[in-house]
Amino acid sequence: MELNIQNVSMTYPNGKQALKGLGLDLRSPSLIGLLGPNGAGKSTLMKLLVAALTPTAGTILVDGQPLEKAERQLKARLGYLPQDFGLFDELTVTQFLDYMAALKGLKQPKAAIRAVIQAVNLEVKARVPIRTLSGGQRQRVGIAQALLGDPPFLIFDEPTVGLDPEERIHFRNLFSRTAQDRLVLLSTHIIEDVQSVCDQIVVIHHGQIRFTGTPEQLIASAAGHVGVFWEKDETQEQGLHITARVNTSQGVRCRAVADQLPPYVQAEEPTLEDAYLYLISREAAQ
Amino acid sequence: MKTMRLFPLELRRLLQSRLTWLIMALTVLSPVLGLVLYKPATSTTMLSMYLANPAIAGGAAGAILFGLLAIFELDRARRSRVDILTDAVVSPLTTALTRLLALLTAAVLTAGLTMLVWLPISAGLIGSVFTGVNFLLAYLLLMGLALPLGILAAAAAYQFTRRADLSIVLFIAFCALSLTVWSAEWQLCWLNPCVWALSDDFSNFRVFRSVAWMRLTWLAALAGVWTVSYLCIRQYGKGIFGSLARSVRRIYRPAVALALLACSGTAYAAQPFIDNSNPDLTVMSFYEIPYAEGVTFLSRSAQVFPDTDAGTVTGRASYQFQNTSGQEQSISFGINPGYTISNVQANGTDVPFTVSDYQEYNEALLEVTIPAEEEVELTMEYSGFPQESMPTMQGGKELSSEYLCLENSALSPRVMNVMPGEAGYPTTIEITLPASMIAIPFSSSEAEVISENADGTRTWRYEANSAGGILYAGDYICEQIEAGGMTIEFYYGRKHQAVMAEAGAVDAVKAVVDYCTEHYGKLSYGTGDTLKLIQSRVAGGGYAVDGASLLDEADFTAANLGDVQKGGGAGEVMIHELVHQWWGLGNMFDTVDSTSPWSAEGLTVYTTYRIVKELYGEDYAREHYVDQWQQAVDDYYLNYYVRHPEYLEMLPENEQLAISNSLSQVRQYNEMPLKILKAEQLVGGEEAMDQILHDLFNRELDPMYPYLTYQEFLDACHLTEEDLNLG
Repeated sequence: MELNIQNVSMTYPNGKQALKGLGLDLRSPSLIGLLGPNGAGKSTLMKLLVAALTPTAGTILVDGQPLEKAERQLKARLGYLPQDFGLFDELTVTQFLDYMAALKGLKQPKAAIRAVIQAVNLEVKARVPIRTLSGGQRQRVGIAQALLGDPPFLIFDEPTVGLDPEERIHFRNLFSRTAQDRLVLLSTHIIEDVQSVCDQIVVIHHGQIRFTGTPEQLIASAAGHVGVFWEKDETQEQGLHITARVNTSQGVRCRAVADQLPPYVQAEEPTLEDAYLYLISREAAQ
Repeated sequence: MKTMRLFPLELRRLLQSRLTWLIMALTVLSPVLGLVLYKPATSTTMLSMYLANPAIAGGAAGAILFGLLAIFELDRARRSRVDILTDAVVSPLTTALTRLLALLTAAVLTAGLTMLVWLPISAGLIGSVFTGVNFLLAYLLLMGLALPLGILAAAAAYQFTRRADLSIVLFIAFCALSLTVWSAEWQLCWLNPCVWALSDDFSNFRVFRSVAWMRLTWLAALAGVWTVSYLCIRQYGKGIFGSLARSVRRIYRPAVALALLACSGTAYAAQPFIDNSNPDLTVMSFYEIPYAEGVTFLSRSAQVFPDTDAGTVTGRASYQFQNTSGQEQSISFGINPGYTISNVQANGTDVPFTVSDYQEYNEALLEVTIPAEEEVELTMEYSGFPQESMPTMQGGKELSSEYLCLENSALSPRVMNVMPGEAGYPTTIEITLPASMIAIPFSSSEAEVISENADGTRTWRYEANSAGGILYAGDYICEQIEAGGMTIEFYYGRKHQAVMAEAGAVDAVKAVVDYCTEHYGKLSYGTGDTLKLIQSRVAGGGYAVDGASLLDEADFTAANLGDVQKGGGAGEVMIHELVHQWWGLGNMFDTVDSTSPWSAEGLTVYTTYRIVKELYGEDYAREHYVDQWQQAVDDYYLNYYVRHPEYLEMLPENEQLAISNSLSQVRQYNEMPLKILKAEQLVGGEEAMDQILHDLFNRELDPMYPYLTYQEFLDACHLTEEDLNLG
């Protein structure tokens, strides 16, 4: 599966420009982490990719076909978990998945439903009404419906919200396994999730792509720009962005990113989060 | 195809909602409203009261309930944000169509459930005149088809506005229109069909056809509107017009919407049931057409072939005229506006003719030019679906294998401007009917079977003398009763046999005719040796001509025959209704003034009492009549609102009306008979009163005001109003 986003812009009727001339190629197999601050344009991009919106300019090609013409084919091969979704509360988990399987036109829905219920650890809740489920369990139903039918293209928007740490690890691994032969787009604020499983990262800011590459490339771009210092040593330096403050017995230890690290800052190995924050802070400074 | 795969799941999902079951349960129960609260069918036939009213009320309530359910269900997907998931998999248009189909199926299931629940209840309430066909058609057309209309209207409102609150307001306003300003517009009242009566004893296909036409017209209209709203379902983050522009790219979609709307518009404009007669009933321009100069009527014959399955009539009519004018003449005929005329020939040659667009009193004007020959035989063919004039009282032109009534120009074109010849308007009518039907000319004429046809029909012939004429035919039983010095041919519907037998109808007819003829005189329209008493399909009243009188079936229902105000039992109520031939039809009474006790009922109840006294003795009559009147009148004078009418006016209008009606009934059915009884004592006893009533019955009528008034009665008794005070 291949998607080519060519010079896509999206301006809402209220005049807000969410995406500006965005270009991106996505090709399976791959697990792509989509990062960006709130309002950067991530959700708009995902809505464009599921044909919930049409771009005001530019083209999206699905396996070489314009999305407008290939919409039905795309939807037939898509699994989508939006950030803010609802379920039919009166149905049981199995009935809801059966409903979604029918929507997707699955030929052998029972086996597919069994498989996804097992994948999201909801066997014991399979026959209970959805209205009795907790927030985390509802989220797992959402993931299950996206996985139904083994779609070759999956989009997850904040999939691990509401899940406990153990479940998050489980799903992180699930996404990683899933992406071995498919195209998975994962939008999240939890950098740790991205760092551990994504083979590619896309950073969007102000409706434009600021970075595409591997996590290692993003981390490497921040080398020499991350450091730690004691708060008491701090002078009013321009361009220093503190990313973490930790109270210790010797005082407050700060972690920061900057184009030029001041002398009192001791350089450190950057993490993916440092690199991402460095990228965003640099964009903000420009 | 995806819609079909999704449909069972959507239906199952819908049926798992508690709200759906609540709506279904309320709809199943809603016909009870027609028994206690909402009674649009005003006739007192059993089917009107216990079938039409519950079905119409159930349809109106069910349509509103299902409309609200549709809005709730459509809004729920959006409100709960499930639509984000579903729209990512299939087009929102697909889910909208699937949801509509699921809602419609739930409505069909509910209608079926309602019929199952109400079948035994209706059969029990209606009694011996209950039939499965009437029940099925009433619940299907009066109730069942209302539900999809409610769903389509509500769903369209939601799909246009995408707001539940606004949709509910629009939908309720649309329902309110039907229940108020459109309630008398038979094609517009989509929720509550204009049905004033269903017949117990004869068929109701005309009414059902009319309702079906209205329902299908609206079904096409609302399906069209729904399809337009379907095209406006929001997609791709666009607004109503952007989504519409996207949706219409598949050209078949707007084409379907336009086709449905066009079908509806055509059905509305081309309805075959009601004519376009001038609503101003004071205009009688057809009667002002001058007679054709030098033309006289010699004879007329017609062969009429009703199609009892289709409800249509085909006929051939032939007229013999003498034209002494030496010129061509224009002959005017009244024809039923539903008929088309063809093959008009004078002496074997085609002659020009026109049919007017203008219509009056259920007739259009057919004008034919006859040649300047002295002997002219004019022949023509006519066919069509006979139309009626009164949209709120449909059913009069019922035409089926159980019943038909062809009046004047519906029977054959009626000559309007030709002077009668020496023999008047001699007419021979032949009509071919199913074997189960008897032809009954509404006159002194007798119809006879002239041929038994190979297709199982029989051809009847009768002769008459009029330019028009009325023919009844149906599955009748005829009882020959010798009474009052003549033969009474008492015709009643076969379905009514059990009720008539229980009420002792034959004995009642004999008793009434003997008694009334002896005491008051012969009926003015029963001057020959034979009088036909014909029970008609419910018509809103009876009427009479020489040799025949019509009894409205509504007066002989099991419920009416059990009315204790009219008699001590079914047989006595039967007597009461037959006495109306003398007091009510033989002598007419002006429209009832609800504040006055004077009406046809006073003399009728009094005469019934006298007949019962003669039949069962004084004690029985006193106990079941006089004592009952006295008790009711005593209670009446003690009634709070009679003593303080000013408080009655303060009550809500509905309660005021109910109490006023109840008090008016006491005045007419109890107070006035008691006053007449008092008058009887004051004038010197029964014999004297009989003489007074005899004289009043046979008085010379003022053609300008032929009604019998209270003052005339008082004058005849030489009494004043005060003399008859009971207080």
